[in-house]
Amino acid sequence: MTKYVARRVALAILVVAGVVVLTFVIARVVPGDPAASWAGPHVSRAELARVRHDLGLDLPLPEQIGRYFAGVAGGDWGTSIHTHQPVLSDLMDRAPASIELVTVAMLIALVVGIPLGLISAKWPGRASDGIIRVAAVLGVSMPAFWLALILQLLFFQRLHLLPVAGQYDPNLDYTHPLTQYTRMVVVDALITGNWIVLRSAIAHLILPALVIASYPVGVITRMVRASVLDTVGEDHVRMVRALGFPERSVFGRFALKLSLNPVIAVVALVFAYSLANTFLVEAVFDWPGLGSYAANAISALDTPAIVGVTLFIAVVYVVLNLAVDLVQAYLDPRIRLR
Amino acid sequence: MFAKGSRIATVVMVLAVAAACSGTSTAKNSPSGSAASNATLNYNVTSQVMIGWDPSTGYSNEIIAMNNMYEQLTRYNPDTKQVDPLLATKWESSADGLTWTFTIRSGVRFHTGRTMTADDVKASIDRTMQLNGGAAYIWGPVKSIDAPSADTVVFTLKYPSPMDLIASADYAAYIFDTKAAGNQDLAKWFEAGHEAGTGPYQLDQWNKGQETELRLKAFPDYWDGWNGSHYARYIFSVTPEATTAAQLLRSGQATIVERMTPQLWQTFQNQDGFTTTDDASWQTLLAMLNTSSGPLADVNVRQAVASAIDYQGMMAALHGGAEQISGYVPPGLWGHSDNLPNPTYDVQHAQDLLQKAGYGPSGKPMDLTLTYTQGDADEQLVGQLMKADLAKLNINVDVRGLAWPAQWSMAKSSNPADRQDILLFYWWPDYADPYSWFINLFHTEPKPFFNLSYYSNPQLDKMIDDVETVAATNRDQAVGDYQQMQTMLLQDMPAISLYTQVYQKAMQSSVGGFIENPAYPNVVFGYDVQPTG
Repeated sequence: MTKYVARRVALAILVVAGVVVLTFVIARVVPGDPAASWAGPHVSRAELARVRHDLGLDLPLPEQIGRYFAGVAGGDWGTSIHTHQPVLSDLMDRAPASIELVTVAMLIALVVGIPLGLISAKWPGRASDGIIRVAAVLGVSMPAFWLALILQLLFFQRLHLLPVAGQYDPNLDYTHPLTQYTRMVVVDALITGNWIVLRSAIAHLILPALVIASYPVGVITRMVRASVLDTVGEDHVRMVRALGFPERSVFGRFALKLSLNPVIAVVALVFAYSLANTFLVEAVFDWPGLGSYAANAISALDTPAIVGVTLFIAVVYVVLNLAVDLVQAYLDPRIRLR
Repeated sequence: MFAKGSRIATVVMVLAVAAACSGTSTAKNSPSGSAASNATLNYNVTSQVMIGWDPSTGYSNEIIAMNNMYEQLTRYNPDTKQVDPLLATKWESSADGLTWTFTIRSGVRFHTGRTMTADDVKASIDRTMQLNGGAAYIWGPVKSIDAPSADTVVFTLKYPSPMDLIASADYAAYIFDTKAAGNQDLAKWFEAGHEAGTGPYQLDQWNKGQETELRLKAFPDYWDGWNGSHYARYIFSVTPEATTAAQLLRSGQATIVERMTPQLWQTFQNQDGFTTTDDASWQTLLAMLNTSSGPLADVNVRQAVASAIDYQGMMAALHGGAEQISGYVPPGLWGHSDNLPNPTYDVQHAQDLLQKAGYGPSGKPMDLTLTYTQGDADEQLVGQLMKADLAKLNINVDVRGLAWPAQWSMAKSSNPADRQDILLFYWWPDYADPYSWFINLFHTEPKPFFNLSYYSNPQLDKMIDDVETVAATNRDQAVGDYQQMQTMLLQDMPAISLYTQVYQKAMQSSVGGFIENPAYPNVVFGYDVQPTG
């Protein structure tokens, strides 16, 4: 097991390093001078040259990459060209908001997706199966941007039930100021017992979380359905059924447990995917997360920020995958031997 | 499993309903700004506010907040086309325009608690000139600054320049407490999120990267006092998506929205509870025509292209978000003239001109490349409209959207063959002076920088070199010079002045006294607007 873990960790570090080099090179070979974004609109020639020098953009590409890696190792992820702030500090500000949003979305997806998948698999071919399958396809294929606008129109403009955007009501900053520890508003409000901000934060979280959850709900529903249908046809499940266990137990206790391995893997992947792909949802809901930060970085050719976001997402991907691999290897000794 | 699942689902539903109930009060909040004592102005903007904190080098969107925390010696008044006193109460220049003496307002306090003196004015501008970053180039004419008394600052210039206008600049002209950081490095102190201005509002809290990014509060010792009705708090919140900004305004959470699409803006017109304003900006969109290579090197072809554009159709397509202008200097800025030989939409004239050059519907086809700044929906639309208009004349335009750094790199390419034929970009002045357009866009450049039509006219160069001297001593004559220069440019047509952007703002009707000042783009001077009702 130790050897297996060491091999997986070494591979993970290689993957992250490879992703960083590739992103760095791609971002730098795109035509354009990032110093132009930094220096401001009507910059002088001398100022542009000075900025280029200060940012190290006049160095050969391999030296820039070398300096970047040395910096990353020392905790310096470079300075963002569009925010003029240290990238690591920007990420620390932005990532908690995205992680909070995506975590809630994934919880919704699990709570909704697994039962729907089970219902669908329990009565395949029935009307309920058909409706769930159509809903799952819609969830996967519906543009998040469109869904976000529809939900805003419905729940904010028509029904006046939920707020339109933001993390919580900004007026509460004056009446019930929130002390931030984790920069996740719900978590900080819970820690500090700020119930007014907590209520406001949950209200603000519902719509964006529902929109982001639509894709993983579809994926998980389909995955659970297919996996359970495969499992219930296998000999050991047939034996459980032959032993007289009630159908509810056959599905809920035996078939589902055996079907969860691929679902866990998918959840880890979808979580990391959602972190980087929420920029449209974040834009619509004014959510100050990683997605909107990455989108602004790309339009400003902000290499340090682009590479920083990529590095962060790559680390999340790799760590989650590693965790899934290790959990699966722990649960299933056959995996360790492959 | 099903039982557990249903229990979890019930908990989630209960939480959702509880949250939904709390959301009701948020969504139905009454508009802010009804009580003057604690009224809050929530200015909703489209992008991050504080890019830089240093008043000497800041050269980006922070202008909208900086102009509420800091002040300049003078402020431009678009109605009188003159500057008004601000931290300077009066000023005068020598007959040759080389010495400018400003009398500094007494009793002004910095947010740090210190009282401002002439030495502080000198120290602020000296530091800005020394750092020479951002828009510090505006102080280029200054040879030295002296503070002979506590309320007098004297600028000695290398060449005559309109210092009263330069001192009103929206960037790099702020007066601040250079001793604010004590023994620390002042630049680092600023960049950590501090300010040391004299303005009516002072920093309360900066939430870097958050939706409610910046909170300011009234500075109790503001030199002009707090008599009358004023906002006590000023919030800057960032909403990139126009539809969301519109919803926030409807909910009352936003007091003023910086920008939305013209279509959304129109939904607030004549609607109870809201006020809309549309004022011409000084942000002009130019189509820079490549005068050095390709078909547009021929002045007849450039004039033909200028005559082939349906300007009225373009304005209609922009739904009030733009206003056609005469010449290159926008209205509201001195040097503007309505009596110029502007191009008009005349397809027959365009055909005749093209025919002279061997092109046109009966001649050989022409291929042009047009670049615009990616992400700017208006520029994209203009590019497509120009493509459609020119297609009627057998001119095929390849419209390319590029990020600004890439668009600019292509335009500055050392190989003329790699450059575009038409480049769309905006230009606006950094202080209330038309000089910026001429020195940057039309003065000969050995290597292209901002003269992206690669235009060279020695006669015009001479006039540009002399005009600031004239402006410093005889502004009426300078106005005439700018008219003459614009006439020359419209005859040579190195660039088509397509329009000036219109600021379309929507706000709660409880906001009183809002006046757009195009010299300070998108700045809402919180002190000058009043909470009413």
